[in-house]
Amino acid sequence: MQRRTFLKLLGTGLTGLSFLPGPAGAKLLQSPVATNRLRPPGAVPEEIFAARCIRCGRCVEVCPYRSIIMLDIRAGIHAGTPLVEVEKIPCYLCMKCVEVCPTGSLERIQQQDTRMGLAVINRFHCVAWLGTILCRTCYDKCPYAEKAIRLDQLRPVIDASACTGCGICTSACPVAAGDDRKAINIEPLYARQKVSG
Amino acid sequence: MTQTRRDFIKKAAALSAASYVSMNLPIDKINLARADEGVVWHRGSCRLCGVGCRVELGVKDGVPMGLRGVAESRTNFGYVCMKGTYFWKCMRHPDRLTKPLYRAKKSDAFKEISWDKALDIAADQFARAHKAGGGDAVAYYGSGQSLTEETYLFQKIMRGGLQSNNVEGNPRLCMASAAAGYLSSFGADEPIGGYADFEKAHCFFIIGSNTAEAHPVLFRRIMRRKLDNPNTVKVINIDPRISQTSRIADMHLQFMPGTDLALLNAMANVIMEEKLYDAEFVKNYATFRKGEAEQTTLEDFKAQVAKYTPEMAAKVCGGTFKADDIRTIARWFAKSKGTVSLWTMGLNQRKRGVWANNLVHNLHIITGQLVKDGADSLSLTGQPNACGGVREGGGLCHILPGHRPVENEKLRRQVEAAWGVPEGRIPAAPGLHTMAMFSAINEGKIKAIWINCTSPAQSLPNCTLYNKGMDRDDVFIVCTDIFPTLTTQKANLVLPASFHFEKTGVYGCTERRSQLTRKAIDSPGEARAEVWIVREWARRLAEKMNDPVIAQCIKPFEGLTEGYELPKAIWDEYTQKLTAGRDNDLRGATYAVLEKMADGVQWPAPTEEFALTGGTVKKFVKGRDPMATTESRNDLPYQFYGAAHPDRTLWIWLREQADPEEMPDAEYPFYLSTGRIIDHWHTMSMTGRIPELLRANPYAYVEVNPKDADRLGIKPGDMVEIKSRRGVNLLPAKVYAGPVEGMVFVYWHDQHPDRMINKVTKDGIDPGSKEPEFKICAVQVKRASDPKPLEPYIV
Repeated sequence: MQRRTFLKLLGTGLTGLSFLPGPAGAKLLQSPVATNRLRPPGAVPEEIFAARCIRCGRCVEVCPYRSIIMLDIRAGIHAGTPLVEVEKIPCYLCMKCVEVCPTGSLERIQQQDTRMGLAVINRFHCVAWLGTILCRTCYDKCPYAEKAIRLDQLRPVIDASACTGCGICTSACPVAAGDDRKAINIEPLYARQKVSG
Repeated sequence: MTQTRRDFIKKAAALSAASYVSMNLPIDKINLARADEGVVWHRGSCRLCGVGCRVELGVKDGVPMGLRGVAESRTNFGYVCMKGTYFWKCMRHPDRLTKPLYRAKKSDAFKEISWDKALDIAADQFARAHKAGGGDAVAYYGSGQSLTEETYLFQKIMRGGLQSNNVEGNPRLCMASAAAGYLSSFGADEPIGGYADFEKAHCFFIIGSNTAEAHPVLFRRIMRRKLDNPNTVKVINIDPRISQTSRIADMHLQFMPGTDLALLNAMANVIMEEKLYDAEFVKNYATFRKGEAEQTTLEDFKAQVAKYTPEMAAKVCGGTFKADDIRTIARWFAKSKGTVSLWTMGLNQRKRGVWANNLVHNLHIITGQLVKDGADSLSLTGQPNACGGVREGGGLCHILPGHRPVENEKLRRQVEAAWGVPEGRIPAAPGLHTMAMFSAINEGKIKAIWINCTSPAQSLPNCTLYNKGMDRDDVFIVCTDIFPTLTTQKANLVLPASFHFEKTGVYGCTERRSQLTRKAIDSPGEARAEVWIVREWARRLAEKMNDPVIAQCIKPFEGLTEGYELPKAIWDEYTQKLTAGRDNDLRGATYAVLEKMADGVQWPAPTEEFALTGGTVKKFVKGRDPMATTESRNDLPYQFYGAAHPDRTLWIWLREQADPEEMPDAEYPFYLSTGRIIDHWHTMSMTGRIPELLRANPYAYVEVNPKDADRLGIKPGDMVEIKSRRGVNLLPAKVYAGPVEGMVFVYWHDQHPDRMINKVTKDGIDPGSKEPEFKICAVQVKRASDPKPLEPYIV
């Protein structure tokens, strides 16, 4: 099989698949970005990320904490793009990945300007909000404590103007709510921004 | 080559199959409403810190299911902290020790043996050691986490049976200075008031304590008080490190480590200068002392503190705050309607820990901020039973049960009589204190040691040095524990012990409160309660040494079941025979009363009727403390009957500023201090095995002030080398404006050899309390490399 044929085949296959009925088709086009599934710092909106990222893997390689993983074929057209599963290993905001990105998929931004997502507390799961257990793990672990997370009468409150969405709080949160969720989760709000009007 | 329809479908099928693999499997959602069905809740107190929270353990079909607070509790009001909530997960952890393990040589591998054999070996080795070197060659090293019954029985066998005062425990590493401070200032150990003062206090003076992380449940009470009265309640925090506790402070003074004695003296100076002291209270109840206990005068005291002007103290403290700040806090302290001081290791774990304690007590005595509601000088304990078991139960080398000094012949005779052992059986000289004990092990002088419920291999300062001794093959080490620790790795014989709620016994918390926890579930495998282990061991010891006196020590306990009868008999002997007439009179706090009193009893509680009211909330106050009435010598409302002060007064001590044992110099330019983090407990053998807690803090890190980090080129997450004259650590950095410039801070829980900070800390001790100076030593700080992914490490 020639390279050309292979690519043709792959292209047809993927295009064809997206028209398949049921979840299989949708899955291959669907963005992997979801709650606690985030792009590395400085990522352009998800709408154009897959098109701009050339899957070079340099961000994955440079990440000292192995926070960034490279998606495999199961991610469909997003295979090869980087993702941070924050409840497993969060982003420690060392900002090494944005430096090495050759395409600008990850824009060169400052640590405090990073907006990977926004931490959202589920007050029905958070034990501090439920009022029975004195937990402030998220506050203790937040790299911008007192700014991004502060305590209001020992209950954590998020300030969207300072939260980087690094997910350190999510990873540390002792409350497991099932489905990889914690009592504090990162919602990829900014990834959903539209580039085209 | 063309693409056939068949090929296309085949490949598409493969791809879609792959996409299905990542599909999330449905996770069983915990149905909270139904989870409670069939769960029986058993009452007890928390296994972790010294607050003494009342909790309930949920048990379903003999398996622990969860833990909750009880809203009507007097200590925690129903709140529990994260580690408290999760400690039950230890109970059925697969790492639990379930069989006795033995090895003849420390290089051998452990083999499982039967209890029969294990106890024979233990008795044999102790008998042999005793034969070779008498009482000096054997030792017991216990814990502030053992039940009172356990500590009491261990020390009874050691003193009455083996004629050795080598009875120590880890409270020497945390509480000894506080105990010595109370004795020297008030004449009696343990605080006068308790937590009930928080809700009536108008000023909190928090020094050398990160209450928010070390005692989170108490911190909630302080915070509640402050938030409900934001303008009338002041919170003062004094610490070289801005901690989570500082957040609620109206004033936070950050000083260079080791200069707080000057600061406290300066506060006393302001109080004297501005005549804010309570002359009436001082005249009636206090005398002045200097040196060893030489009496002196108010004028002397004034002259002494006059040297410590606020300006001078501010300079000594590093110039991070103004002299007027000292004046402000001194006025707040003295003028408030009630001031409560709180401290822990920041004052205790110091070369001059006793002096630091004395100076805080001084402020309370001269201002009369004592014995009234809302005012107290309250040392917070770190462990659930450091007060109850070890300080009251005779768990240290120099004290017998019921706060009796070993050297006092009359009191020794009382104990011997109560035990029915011959006079003179208990040696007259105190045994070896902790650091001396482990030095003696280094020298091979102690041939057999029983280490119970603690891990000195990690928790001793400068631990590398003392690990050498524990590695010696001529030192036989028995460990009783629930999990493998760094210390069980040094043992010859490891005995699996029952955990909290798997046995019955009493914990005594910070505020003189004794609470009973009854057995709720069976121990896993062959783990047994320590009281059973000691009794069986002692019986064999009596046979092997052919010594009827040892048999006499356990005679009252023979034939009793370990789950309830045995600890009850031990508790009865201790309280009825040995606390009678002592300041920690617990005669009223029988098991029957403690079972009725969900929140336990605060001593002194000489009678059951009084114990059923909850006991003594304020010591020394006539009408509130029954002993203040029975011990009354005059018409004054307060009677300071503490046995250590024959003149029955409070002593105001003249103490100078004193430097720590090791100060930074050109070679080691930084101060190092250590402490706790909220989600972990001591050597992490329990909390490290709870994934929810470990995830939050998988490994220790070093806090570096941003200015220092800038100078040293340290970025967040970089690996940093912390080196002292004794050892070296390699830790990730947290750049954080917490520690004062020139100081670094490390959590001490991590077991990993690269991150075990006690390899670096200094083993200098307070000459009075013999407590080591964990909190201050000099180190080098150097950037080692870029960030590295680290793994948590649990033995």
